[in-house]
Amino acid sequence: MHKRRSFIQNIMLAGAVVLLLLFCLFPFIQILSTSLKYQFDWGNPSLIPRKINMDAYRELLGFSATKEVEIPESIKRLLDNPLLKEEQKQKILERYSSTADIFPFARYFINSFLLSAGAAAVSLVLAMFGAYSFSRLRYRGQKIMQRGVLFVYMVGGVLLLVPLYQMGVKTGLASTVWGSVLSLLLIYIIQTLPVSLYMLGNYFRTIPYSIEEAAAMDGCSRLESIYRIILPLSVPMMVTVFIYCFIIAWNEFLFASVFLRQFPDFHTLPLGLQSLFVSRNAIWDRIMSASILTLLPVVICFMFAMRHLTGNLVEGGVKE
Amino acid sequence: MRLAPLNERDTMSTVTLNGIYKKFDETEVLHNINLEIGEGEFVVMVGPSGCGKSTILRLIAGLEEVTQGEVLIDERVVNMVEPHHRNIAMVFQNYALYPHKSVRENIIFGLKRAKVAKDIIEGRLKKAAKMLELEDLLDRRPSQLSGGQRQRVAMGRVIVRDANLFLFDEPLSNLDAKLRSRMRVEIRRIHREYKTTSIYVTHDQVEAMTLGDRIVVMKDGRIEQVGTPMEIYLNPVNIFVATFIGAPAMNIIDAMLYLGFIEVEGQKIALNNRVEKIPVPASGRRVKLGIRPDFFIDEKNTEHGASLSRIENALVDIVEPLGFEREIDATIGSQHIKAKLDLRTTAGEGEKITLCFDMDRVHLFDPETGMRL
Amino acid sequence: MRPLPCTLIRIYPLQLSLSQKESRLGLKLIAPCIGVIGILIIYPILYNIYLSFFDVRLAGENIFVGLANYERLLRESGFFSSLVTTVIYLAGSVIGTTILGLLVALVMSIKFPFRNIVRGVILLPYFAPVISVVFGWQFFFDPVNGIYNHLMVETLGIAGSRYNLIGEPRSALGIVIIFSIWKNFPISYLLIISRLQSINKDQYEAAAMDGCGPVARFFHVTLPELYFVMGTLIILRLIWNLNKFEEVFLLAPNVWTLPVFTYYTAFTGIIDQGYAAAISVVQFVVLAALIIFYVKKVLKW
Repeated sequence: MHKRRSFIQNIMLAGAVVLLLLFCLFPFIQILSTSLKYQFDWGNPSLIPRKINMDAYRELLGFSATKEVEIPESIKRLLDNPLLKEEQKQKILERYSSTADIFPFARYFINSFLLSAGAAAVSLVLAMFGAYSFSRLRYRGQKIMQRGVLFVYMVGGVLLLVPLYQMGVKTGLASTVWGSVLSLLLIYIIQTLPVSLYMLGNYFRTIPYSIEEAAAMDGCSRLESIYRIILPLSVPMMVTVFIYCFIIAWNEFLFASVFLRQFPDFHTLPLGLQSLFVSRNAIWDRIMSASILTLLPVVICFMFAMRHLTGNLVEGGVKE
Repeated sequence: MRLAPLNERDTMSTVTLNGIYKKFDETEVLHNINLEIGEGEFVVMVGPSGCGKSTILRLIAGLEEVTQGEVLIDERVVNMVEPHHRNIAMVFQNYALYPHKSVRENIIFGLKRAKVAKDIIEGRLKKAAKMLELEDLLDRRPSQLSGGQRQRVAMGRVIVRDANLFLFDEPLSNLDAKLRSRMRVEIRRIHREYKTTSIYVTHDQVEAMTLGDRIVVMKDGRIEQVGTPMEIYLNPVNIFVATFIGAPAMNIIDAMLYLGFIEVEGQKIALNNRVEKIPVPASGRRVKLGIRPDFFIDEKNTEHGASLSRIENALVDIVEPLGFEREIDATIGSQHIKAKLDLRTTAGEGEKITLCFDMDRVHLFDPETGMRL
Repeated sequence: MRPLPCTLIRIYPLQLSLSQKESRLGLKLIAPCIGVIGILIIYPILYNIYLSFFDVRLAGENIFVGLANYERLLRESGFFSSLVTTVIYLAGSVIGTTILGLLVALVMSIKFPFRNIVRGVILLPYFAPVISVVFGWQFFFDPVNGIYNHLMVETLGIAGSRYNLIGEPRSALGIVIIFSIWKNFPISYLLIISRLQSINKDQYEAAAMDGCGPVARFFHVTLPELYFVMGTLIILRLIWNLNKFEEVFLLAPNVWTLPVFTYYTAFTGIIDQGYAAAISVVQFVVLAALIIFYVKKVLKW
């Protein structure tokens, strides 16, 4: 309707929008604020720290010097005992100092990045050809493929947990480091492949057949027309699909935890964050800053691709 | 399977269709199509929507598969040959330009695929761009062009190719009337220049009449008649062809044929020799009488009124002035007649008029089969 | 095909027809996908069913036990309470997500300044990794530091004393439902608003001519047009939420929905992956029923 909104309506609208924004953003603000607070501030309900504390970030990112940790009195006396050999003293000291990274953000980041990018890339390539096949070529079983994609899309996650783990164990992959990484890569591929097929399939259906027919008249074989016509036309969609798959793999926790638990050096970011939580370094500001650091890449990715993502998500379908 | 490199040939392609049947799932869309198209001919396939004319084109191009029968190009069976090996150029109804390529790239794409030398490509591009007035548009994208411009790019794509067969799938149907008549002239000019064998599909009978060396009239998957425009205009083989070609459409009037004369709404009209050969029982025979509106003359405007056949007392219903002519919608008894008369006619609406015509111009059709008698 | 006439210059060797060539290419292109899906989805599903009939040992051979795992399902209360928890979780989260999605879509369909920025912001909950937001939520409800307790006890004086909502399985379930709504409403919102914006404006104007005020217009024009989308959404959400693990486990490990129950059985305590497989099979059957219903009924509407 074209009449202007009344003042009261404007207020109500503004109120609704503000409420909505608060609802969405509050947890994020909370995390950010706590990550910047000193311990005395944690109980403070105000979101604004009384004093900004960058220690947590510094430590997580490896900027701070090795921290001196409190050595209990009894141990101190033990160390002063001249009878203890130097090595033994060192060993005991090590247990109480934290020279080790408590949250090797860079390493986790790289692990997550390589795994996610690798899985998204393979998924994209497989899906390009598969989606082209069932959406633009005619052959027996084509319809089954189309319906099948939808079905496979919805099966996943916990349902496959036990059998995939068993398969990993039985083939021996799950016992070695690289075997586990490979298994996880394969699992991420299979978790993103159906949604890639679905989104690309929907997109390919919107390209008119006559363009490929014109290419055929111009002398392109089928494969040539895929390479020269379809691919260039699909670049925006391909980017969207890649980013979407990347985010799915990046956020994944369950399978990473099952397969990579024993190999701390190879943890992905979500897994690393959770280990932090159950480790003895589980203090709120560290946890919160680690949360922010895990969030940041996704938010950046998302802002970058936002316009593409929302439009294509609706046309292309969505995945959980 | 590649055809022999056709740029070695100087002659244009011939196309032959033998006993073609085409089914989509269980529906038969083409029934026993037989056709021969000679070198350099411009053949127009015309008919109402869904008659199968586009399907035939796509069979020749290789974009659809033949259910039964043979397609021969240059006397070779090409059923199994893939479309990109057939060396045919085609203009699509929706132009099918490559959206991500510029006009220039769109036009020369086929040449680059065929690995033609660069200077030859440049030369042909220049010639085509000049002919189609595309010189200023070469660097634009299809999305920045109007419908008419896109159509010309699609034409450009076709004429730079070295193909010996051009296919046109209703290329003008998305243009407005003015552009359409302009482009019709362009297409004729192109054919005169390049002399390529062309097969042109349209539902517009004006295009068919003006462009074709020969016309193929189709209906419901069958060929009704093949012939030059004049042949079809003057001697349609059945009611469908008679009413489809020519605008306004031929009048089809119910009449009774007797020995020696024909009766229309109570009026008796004498027959001439041509018609006398038709078998007639004593009680008469129902026929449909066909005569084109263009062949009527107002009795008042001719001195030969006595020697011509006539229909009297036609009640003028509507007069449509069309500049040089007047289109009269009249009724005789319960039937309608349309006549195209010149400006000397003064009959107004509600008046009675006598229409004269030459019996030679009349066709008689069997009411059941629609075939000409 | 009729035999070739002998008048032809060449006889062509037996070749593939055009449609056969297309078939071959089609199958070749999709083969890798089928391979991957077959090995990593289809086979595991079948293997899972197979495993559910065994006592799965971590070392050594599996022992065939027939239906023993399923009998245990029916006997032990763990499974049923997990089932009940799951049903409550599904009901709460699906209804909540859909309603919130609808409300947000209605608000966002009105033009207001900075609407584009808001559009981006409300998608954040969906794209954030679960692990990186759960701690914020846990902190909020933390009895020592959390704002919730501060509000309830000190500011508003509703509750008598501080308590940990997440510690208690019952109240934790409520929190988990709210978390699910928070996390997933963006998708519902997206699907609804795209449908909302395609409703013809003329219908609203016609209704206004007929005397409908804004509320009546909503119920008589908007809602009927949205039935299909919302129906689809509800089924899809049921299917998706049934599979959710991280959103429950990481926030409140004491809420035992079916996936969480499966995980505990498979990897903690007395590890019994055969039993876990059986639970998964049950979950799969329910899921398959929902999917078939979706494909048969909803897609045809």
